[in-house]
Amino acid sequence: MEIDGNTLVFIIVILFLFFSTPGGDGVSSQYEFNQLQRLKQQFQTEHNVFLNMTHTDNFRNITGFKLSYQDTLNNPLQNATYPLPGKEYDRWLPNQNYMVMPNEVIDTINSQVWNTSNGDTSNIFPPNITSTLLGKINVVSNSKYERIRMPIPRFYEPANDFSEDIPPEGETYWSDWPSYGELHNVTFQHGEIAIQITHMNNLQNSNNYFRRNFINKENDRWKLLNLQIDFSDKTEKEKHSISSKAVYDIQRGRILSISQSSKFHSLFALPHYMSLQDEYDEDMFNDVKQLVDEFWNFTDYTDVMTMNDVQDAYNSANLKCEYMTFLQLEPWNQYTKDQIKLIDDELNWPLGRPVNLSSLPPINVVSGILYSPDCGLRLAIHDVKGKRYELKIMSIRTHLMFGIALFAAQIYLLLTQMHQTNTPSMVNKISFYCFSMINLVDGSLATLYFVAASVVPELYLPLVISAFSCFILASIFEIRYLISIYASQVNEQNVGIANLLRGNTGTYDENRPRPAFIPDEGSIGGSLYGRFFFTLIIFTFLILSSTSWPRQLRMIFEYILIFILNSYWIPQIFRNAVKGIPSRRERTRATNGGNRNQNKMPLLWSFVIGTTIIRSLPVIYVFTYSSNVFRHHKDVRFVVFLSLWLLFQISILYSQDILGSRWFLPQHTIPEGYSYFKPLSNQYILEHGGGTVQNTVDCAICMSDVPIYIEEIPETHIVDQHTYMVTPCNHVFHTSCLENWMSYKLQCPVCRSPLPPL
Amino acid sequence: MGPADSPYAGGVFFLSIHFPTDYPFKPPKISFTTKIYHPNINANGNICLDILKDQWSPALTLSKVLLSICSLLTDANPDDPLVPEIAHIYKTDRSKYEATAREWTKKYAV
Repeated sequence: MEIDGNTLVFIIVILFLFFSTPGGDGVSSQYEFNQLQRLKQQFQTEHNVFLNMTHTDNFRNITGFKLSYQDTLNNPLQNATYPLPGKEYDRWLPNQNYMVMPNEVIDTINSQVWNTSNGDTSNIFPPNITSTLLGKINVVSNSKYERIRMPIPRFYEPANDFSEDIPPEGETYWSDWPSYGELHNVTFQHGEIAIQITHMNNLQNSNNYFRRNFINKENDRWKLLNLQIDFSDKTEKEKHSISSKAVYDIQRGRILSISQSSKFHSLFALPHYMSLQDEYDEDMFNDVKQLVDEFWNFTDYTDVMTMNDVQDAYNSANLKCEYMTFLQLEPWNQYTKDQIKLIDDELNWPLGRPVNLSSLPPINVVSGILYSPDCGLRLAIHDVKGKRYELKIMSIRTHLMFGIALFAAQIYLLLTQMHQTNTPSMVNKISFYCFSMINLVDGSLATLYFVAASVVPELYLPLVISAFSCFILASIFEIRYLISIYASQVNEQNVGIANLLRGNTGTYDENRPRPAFIPDEGSIGGSLYGRFFFTLIIFTFLILSSTSWPRQLRMIFEYILIFILNSYWIPQIFRNAVKGIPSRRERTRATNGGNRNQNKMPLLWSFVIGTTIIRSLPVIYVFTYSSNVFRHHKDVRFVVFLSLWLLFQISILYSQDILGSRWFLPQHTIPEGYSYFKPLSNQYILEHGGGTVQNTVDCAICMSDVPIYIEEIPETHIVDQHTYMVTPCNHVFHTSCLENWMSYKLQCPVCRSPLPPL
Repeated sequence: MGPADSPYAGGVFFLSIHFPTDYPFKPPKISFTTKIYHPNINANGNICLDILKDQWSPALTLSKVLLSICSLLTDANPDDPLVPEIAHIYKTDRSKYEATAREWTKKYAV
């Protein structure tokens, strides 16, 4: 392709537009600029209030904390204004007069969640708790508690029209919001929860503006965490998701997480809510305050704010309830602090230190409460635990290695199978669809591995190796085999099933459109590869989209899909029946005279058994091992059903081997296949001309005479009909000559019409 | 002998014919040993002819194959060329092609 100057300029302009993003803060209008300035200013003001706050100070005008629970009890329609007449601002105590939670919840937290006294430091907790915890959640109450009004500052709102420059002042309340009401409730009783904990060690803001290691001063005492909490009912019809910052008290194993949005600037509330207990601790308040302030300064909190932050905060304020999460971890008292440090180092940089990682206890949340002040929701969680993230990655890596071994075994089996069936007439008996199904599974596995490799950077190498070995299996070996199967079956493409069963008998229809010539493997390969990748993309897309379907639908889809994909021997059983392979006894009898190769079943038994085992192992693992790495639910009945189904398919294949492939078809429905061995008439000699000797014809392959059996001439009846072959197009060859040629191509040497395989 | 109605008329062209062990199931390997100017025959004498490759049939005899080569000399197939430059000239400037072919025949095959 020639590129002239104009095209080059055009391409450069396009690339420039493509790669240049509008400024770092995402501001695209004067209104948004003012909006962002207003937000920064708001946070700066609140930060100043926060800096002057002591442990005996009330929250003043921090967004979301202007009203306490008691204020709302006194007047449910109380507007959140500052200063509120008659409210004490110089006093703070952990009760509902000052907090956004009712006394009942505070008491529960003190007695059941954070029930060790502040002074008790005898327990030992792991400092690094990166993990995904799974467990159960249930709603304690969704109507009992008063909802505290939390208005959204109006400057967060997007502009109503283009002429607006200055964001509005004031605040909006629920009553003025669009009807998001139904989103603000948890309607189920029991559900499942997943808490994903990550440490805020490696900080980066949304624009990748910076990426630095954040280590606070008292790093072995307090840690900042990111918590991603998802909970839903069992059918996954109703999903809730909270993403928030959290403080982890390593000495006491407590985690406090408060969600943040435009109606709830919770960052400034962490110090107060961390110290709920009666033996009120000034040091604790100051520690957490210092931690928050360090974080604020480190990230240049307001400087790096972008329009994205504004919009996200506004949306989540509109759509979600705010949650305060109180968690208590189980101590690891069986270890000393040094041992835990050693374990931590080994997990981060595996060098083979003397620690037993396999016996490492899970991160276990003993008890926990979720409370939503603006929705009046109280939820309790139990049985929430999970492995350390690094351990989980290690276990997935082992599984992947095992998977790679399975791929290697599958490649070996396929190679032996290919080696055994190297002639077109053998390959012809193999079902194209049987291998297409196997190929589809392997191909989509390869794509899924590639997708996973881009999502989980820690497992990049093993995932890519898996994907690669899977891809080699699917797109090189299996497609190669599919091409030769396809090429050997091209002849049959426009033949109906009935004709196939009959094997193109005497009623060889001259009008039937025959392929003028058999396409070479190159063009078949091209079309097959095209089809392979097209199906693969569609299939992978389907699988990936199914992960977001509701659970009920997803399960039905999964079961049906697994069932269909495990029916891969069915097409082969069908194919065997079509090709009419005789029973084993007949075959051994015929072996004495005929070609050995024709007397085997098309698929080797080692291949059938091996492939079945290789392909069912992962399914069995996922469905029977309850703590499998994919978090798949356990369903033994389905596995038993699936194994029986596979066993049934194999036993049918075996019975076809023993009894002949058509034993289950009634005798009269299956006329004999096309026979190459038949007597000829005198008419034939007259039409086609004889050979040099009386009662013979020329074999076009070896150019010598073929003695033939002619019905009308009794002298010729001594000729064995098995020494020559008559094609459907009425050409005669020596048996050995034509069989030899048919191992290269199923095409008549004389007229190039397709030949039915032996 | 070059066919009379072609620019190769009067030339005597030598061919080398090699029979593989599995002849007639595999095609014989045939190549020109005399230099010839033809879109389907390259400088090494290799011939681009379908029946010598994937369209081979065991019923083809050597005389049939040689006849096919003769007719290839008369009617070249410029759409599937082995030497694209010659095919290009063959298509665009037929008289130039014929002149060159005649010249080569005179030079190498007489």
